[in-house]
Amino acid sequence: MKHRICLLLALTLAQTVWGQHEEKLDTAFNLHELVVTGTRTPKLLKDTPVQTRLISSDDIHKADATNVQDLLQTELPGVEFSYAMDQQTHLNFAGFSGQSILFLVDGERLAGETMDDVDFQRLTMNNVERIEIIRGASSALYGSNAGGGVINIITKEASRPWTLNVNSRLSRHNSQRYGVSFSTHGQHASNNLDFSYNGIDNYNVNNGPNPQTRVFSTVYGDKTFHITDKVTLCPWDGFRLTGQAGYFIRTLSRTTDIPERYRDFNGRLSALWKMTEKDHVELSYNFDEYDKSDYYKLTRHDICNYSNVENSVRGVWNHSFVNTGILTIGVEYLHDYLFNTNLDGHTREQDCFDIFTQMDWIISPRWEMVSALRYDYFSDVYHSQITPKLTVRYKTNDHLTLRMSYGMGFRAPTLKEKYYNFDMAGIWIVEGNAQLRPETSHNLNASAEWTKGRYNITATVYHNSVANKLSTGLPHSKTGNSEQLFLEYLNLDNFTVYGAEATFHVRWDKHFGTRMSYAYTKESIAKDESGLTVNSQYLPARQHTLTTRIDWQHQLNKRYELNVTLHGRFHSSVDNREYADYYDISKGIRCIHYPAYTLWKLSTAHHIGKAITLTLAIDNILNYRPKYYYLNAPITDGASLQAGIAIDLDRL
Amino acid sequence: MPVNGMGRHLTGILLGATAILFEACTGLFGGLYDEPEETPKPVIITEKDTKSDTLLHTVSGLLYIDASSWKDWYYIDLQAIANPQTREQAVTQIGQPYPIPTTGDDKADRDYGIYTYWFDVWGKGINVYEFRQFKATSAQPSPDSWSLAVHRNNVRTNDGGVYETQLTNIDQLSMQKEELKALPFTTDEWTKNAVWADDSQMLNSLIGCQGISINPVLSSWLRLDIPPMPPAFTHNNHVFILRNNDGTFAALQLTNYISPSGIKCCLTIQYKYPL
Repeated sequence: MKHRICLLLALTLAQTVWGQHEEKLDTAFNLHELVVTGTRTPKLLKDTPVQTRLISSDDIHKADATNVQDLLQTELPGVEFSYAMDQQTHLNFAGFSGQSILFLVDGERLAGETMDDVDFQRLTMNNVERIEIIRGASSALYGSNAGGGVINIITKEASRPWTLNVNSRLSRHNSQRYGVSFSTHGQHASNNLDFSYNGIDNYNVNNGPNPQTRVFSTVYGDKTFHITDKVTLCPWDGFRLTGQAGYFIRTLSRTTDIPERYRDFNGRLSALWKMTEKDHVELSYNFDEYDKSDYYKLTRHDICNYSNVENSVRGVWNHSFVNTGILTIGVEYLHDYLFNTNLDGHTREQDCFDIFTQMDWIISPRWEMVSALRYDYFSDVYHSQITPKLTVRYKTNDHLTLRMSYGMGFRAPTLKEKYYNFDMAGIWIVEGNAQLRPETSHNLNASAEWTKGRYNITATVYHNSVANKLSTGLPHSKTGNSEQLFLEYLNLDNFTVYGAEATFHVRWDKHFGTRMSYAYTKESIAKDESGLTVNSQYLPARQHTLTTRIDWQHQLNKRYELNVTLHGRFHSSVDNREYADYYDISKGIRCIHYPAYTLWKLSTAHHIGKAITLTLAIDNILNYRPKYYYLNAPITDGASLQAGIAIDLDRL
Repeated sequence: MPVNGMGRHLTGILLGATAILFEACTGLFGGLYDEPEETPKPVIITEKDTKSDTLLHTVSGLLYIDASSWKDWYYIDLQAIANPQTREQAVTQIGQPYPIPTTGDDKADRDYGIYTYWFDVWGKGINVYEFRQFKATSAQPSPDSWSLAVHRNNVRTNDGGVYETQLTNIDQLSMQKEELKALPFTTDEWTKNAVWADDSQMLNSLIGCQGISINPVLSSWLRLDIPPMPPAFTHNNHVFILRNNDGTFAALQLTNYISPSGIKCCLTIQYKYPL
């Protein structure tokens, strides 16, 4: 019994707060699932005051996604992954780019970035239990980079005496995926060991004649290897100790003789102590090192050109007031070290301190209000920031829940943005700016969720006002050096992002269901202090996007079950204003039209007995091929067949 | 365990943990990586006769040339390197750039100039191109004496010829002079779209190319392909035989084309001359 208490420590906290609050809900909508990201305390999805989008383990299985990029673009509208310069992957999430969306793994930040985005390839789905997504500013709880939202990836916990799963999937362009997951679970200890390998070859794509703007002609495949181990100890009632270590390496070959290597090593130690029925304390230490290197095959030298190392220590105390609410107080210290050969001086480091508090008031079974305040301090240039957040939830009846929130977000200028200084391929010199001010945003969010019987409908509207956006400005020359162009980091003028999202989810019975989500995003282009439109290196969000899923499940006999899933996504066209000539910006700006597209994937999962699952899928069943592979074109060169197998050896 | 012993252990553990934390601030992977190499220095070895232990005229070694500039040719004079009297100056002069002319109107021999093409770099590749513009210029300047010249992935000979062997180790070359003379050498060929000399409009897919003769066989030691983008370089590490215009022979091998800091077209050439 002890171990159950230990594993469900979080659940007991929620039960303490809610007491006997029970509702009969359809489990199909996952409303009984616990989520933690919105308030840093466990809440049932149906009750959480902060609107949370949950991607469950069932959703992950149905999407058959390899990494977080695959999963998010399959499941969420308003999400687009495109290429930045040098064909690095860039995220646009409801008008916010990757640097304003905070990615967490089990609540911890990730080190390293490329063109302002984390390495999405390192976030594989092999060991993921669920993903929680909070839209809108969440800096009051999570600090810098949470201006557009938070995506928290929660890894698996062992719950059975032992499990062993091996899986594989093959597809076009020598795409290979292999995974092994082994877990054990005992009274006082459990362990999860996960290994995954993914690989796909480089391949070329063909563009039509006379493209309007930059296109790509080669899709660079990569090979990733990922291993992680998580140990959980529950030596006595109410105390849990978790240790985790992971290693990741990705190899990519743009040039045959100099493959690029991306490595990450992370380690975490955390202790959760239920001191009393009302008081919980969590202490954690997290280490994350993300490196980039070039391997010179001819001389067999592996030369590191980038290393970001983050060490953080955090303490969080939760105190529950019976039937009244929860008080949360936390402190955090983070040491940020950056080595980058493009950096002035090559290395920079800074210390970041923060303290945050949150009061979760459960005013009545219908009303709940959460207020949070956070103070952040950054030792480099001695900058500090205060961010508040206020959320209100109201349940009109058993079926309708209304949520409203105001939150402030911010993004502190990074060491890169302050101290970059390098010649970019002879085109211009990229210059950092130590005087940058933090980017701030004010977010208003309102949502309504209605659930009854077979139906679940959610509608959300939001408005973001962003100030001092951090970006590179217009290329310009300097006095005395008129031929050399400089691209300098600066704070842009204010701009707004607003939009809406609606999700319609229905399950007619346990065998047949559908979910359709639509997002509208309006992103205005930021301007510099002179009022000139700054031609961002990133493409703006598409205004209309839609994702849909239809799934059908049928059990033919005791030993065979068939699941058929159809995923689709639609992205509307978008127009962007870009320089007519990158070498001579005096030629002005022209409007580039990026066309709409739709992609569909049909997959079948054949469950044979309890242990074996065969998967056959056709990705891009309409055989869509972009006429021009612009930087935001979908990365596909037509339909592809995927075949996979997964075996639960413990169930054989 | 005695209290003192336990104290020592705890102190050791604490010190170890502190050391790891201190190390952790700047990363734990440092030991995995190599330090960037220094730029290779020229190597010149005077060959000896193994029987009599007397010095031979033949020299061998390594030459390093940063030929990454789009705008310059670099010249190598093997005869001067082999001569002890002129060797030092010859090695020094290898790094001297000879700019590709962008002005002048000297049409004495050929249609010297810059030919600008639109290359389909984002579509079907650089085998698809359209002529856009020609600007006449002076002929390419060169020193009085030279054996070969390099410009990025292009190589010229001084009215010589080149034969590609299948050997990948220059020391395995054992052909006698008569055998060398009988080899089918390829001479330089006039080209208007191979020597990429002007990258100022590259993002618009426009490349200015020098009209000049190059040796197609020796230039194959480093091939450039598009797609993919950025371009892919293919290195051919075969040993090449160069026949000079005075009838002497040299063995050449490109052993590396990337500088220690990752710049391509920085050539490390192994040579042996005369054969």
